Amino acid sequence: MKSSKRSFLAVLGCAAALALGNAHAQSALDGIVKSKTVKIGIPTDYPPYGFVGLDLKPQGLDIDVANLIASKLGAKVELVPVVSANRIPYLQTKKVDLVVSTLGKNEERAKIIDFSHAYAPFYQGVFALKETQVKAFSDLAGKTVAVTRGAMEDEMLAKVAPKETIVKRFEDQAATTAAFAAGQTQVIATSVSNIGMLSEKNPKLGVEYKLLLRDSPCFVGIAKGEDALRGRVNEILLAAKADGTLNKFAQKWLKRDAGELPL
Amino acid sequence: MIEFTLWDIVRNLALAARWTVVLSLIAFVGGGLVGLLLLVLRLSGRAPVNRVIGAYVQLFQGTPLLMQLFLLYFGIALFGIDTSAWMAAGVALTLYASAYLAEIWRGCVEAIPRGQWEASKSLALSFGQQLRHIILPQALRIAVPPTVGFLVQVIKGTALASVIGFVELTKAGGMIANVTYEPLLVYGCVALMYFVLCFPVSLYARTLERKLHVGHR
Repeated sequence: MKSSKRSFLAVLGCAAALALGNAHAQSALDGIVKSKTVKIGIPTDYPPYGFVGLDLKPQGLDIDVANLIASKLGAKVELVPVVSANRIPYLQTKKVDLVVSTLGKNEERAKIIDFSHAYAPFYQGVFALKETQVKAFSDLAGKTVAVTRGAMEDEMLAKVAPKETIVKRFEDQAATTAAFAAGQTQVIATSVSNIGMLSEKNPKLGVEYKLLLRDSPCFVGIAKGEDALRGRVNEILLAAKADGTLNKFAQKWLKRDAGELPL
Repeated sequence: MIEFTLWDIVRNLALAARWTVVLSLIAFVGGGLVGLLLLVLRLSGRAPVNRVIGAYVQLFQGTPLLMQLFLLYFGIALFGIDTSAWMAAGVALTLYASAYLAEIWRGCVEAIPRGQWEASKSLALSFGQQLRHIILPQALRIAVPPTVGFLVQVIKGTALASVIGFVELTKAGGMIANVTYEPLLVYGCVALMYFVLCFPVSLYARTLERKLHVGHR
């Protein structure tokens, strides 16, 4: 075992040495302009923001926004499916240029990536069956709650739920929703729209809105320090807000107005 | 909202299963070749080489495949080296499978009585000839069940490649489950497809075993 540890350290050492020699790369915006393609991370398991059609092609609000940004950048879009757990690594490693994936803004994330202006509203809440008693966050004590690992609601829940809450974390929204729908957990923390679709498909289930976790609009994620790209994306989003495109997207997918979007 | 019929679900899953098959084949072929190389190196028996291979096997058996994929795809890119998803998946699956196969096959070779080595040496066979004519044919017979058992694990293990962006069988199942909100049906189909992929492999192994054991009945 000792020798394997040593060889692992040696590998790390080599990698670090390579990293030092490779500190300066060209800016992301230059790369996009030159290659005429922009790689954008989008969700594929989070209706109505990002989900698949009959041909498994992604569609939804996030995909519309991604396409809009790409066309205004004059580039061909390459959509990369991401999940909550890997979307930030995708950005940090520049495997995608942008992430349009219902990404909420918080301090921890702002330390490692940059954000554009907001492009769509997003509400997260706590939901359960009608007969489950949840009136305040303190009622969550002793109850099992399904949540997606690394998603905004995971972090919000950790702040407000009592210690006795039994949080079950799943890798993606599909697994989280499935676990709750199958009765594996009593409570689910997710987006209002996701639950809206679930109860539309399963009216018998009797899911009820219990508590508001947070009103946290969606932002486009950009790798740290790509200010030129961030400036362009902000221009595009402001123009889309002014000409009503963002509102049209919200009406189309969320059946409501975009409302006040923070800058 | 679009409605998925059962046919739509099955059709899409079958298309996604192609990736599962391709990833499995990469792991089989890559892992088999590298594993065989490691085995031969190890049998040729120089102590430092043995220690390095031992460490290699420990490293890849002792860390989860998910982490290996993650580190190869995202970890290396952090240092400014661009790795494609195909390369990361191919390398990770090859390293992972080769470590296991080298160890499985080493056990099979060691199960061959020492006397077989000594007898073949006394006939003045070289190391290569010993392996080719005496040891490996006998080891092969013992190796079939554990090898196939591991390969079936690898088929199911390729699901982990979804973490670096592959839309293979499991990932496609998750995507469809979240549009249809019928996880039981969708994941049931996914499980069935894995069975359809894995069962023929096991079945072929049984035939192979029967053929190889023909002299023992």
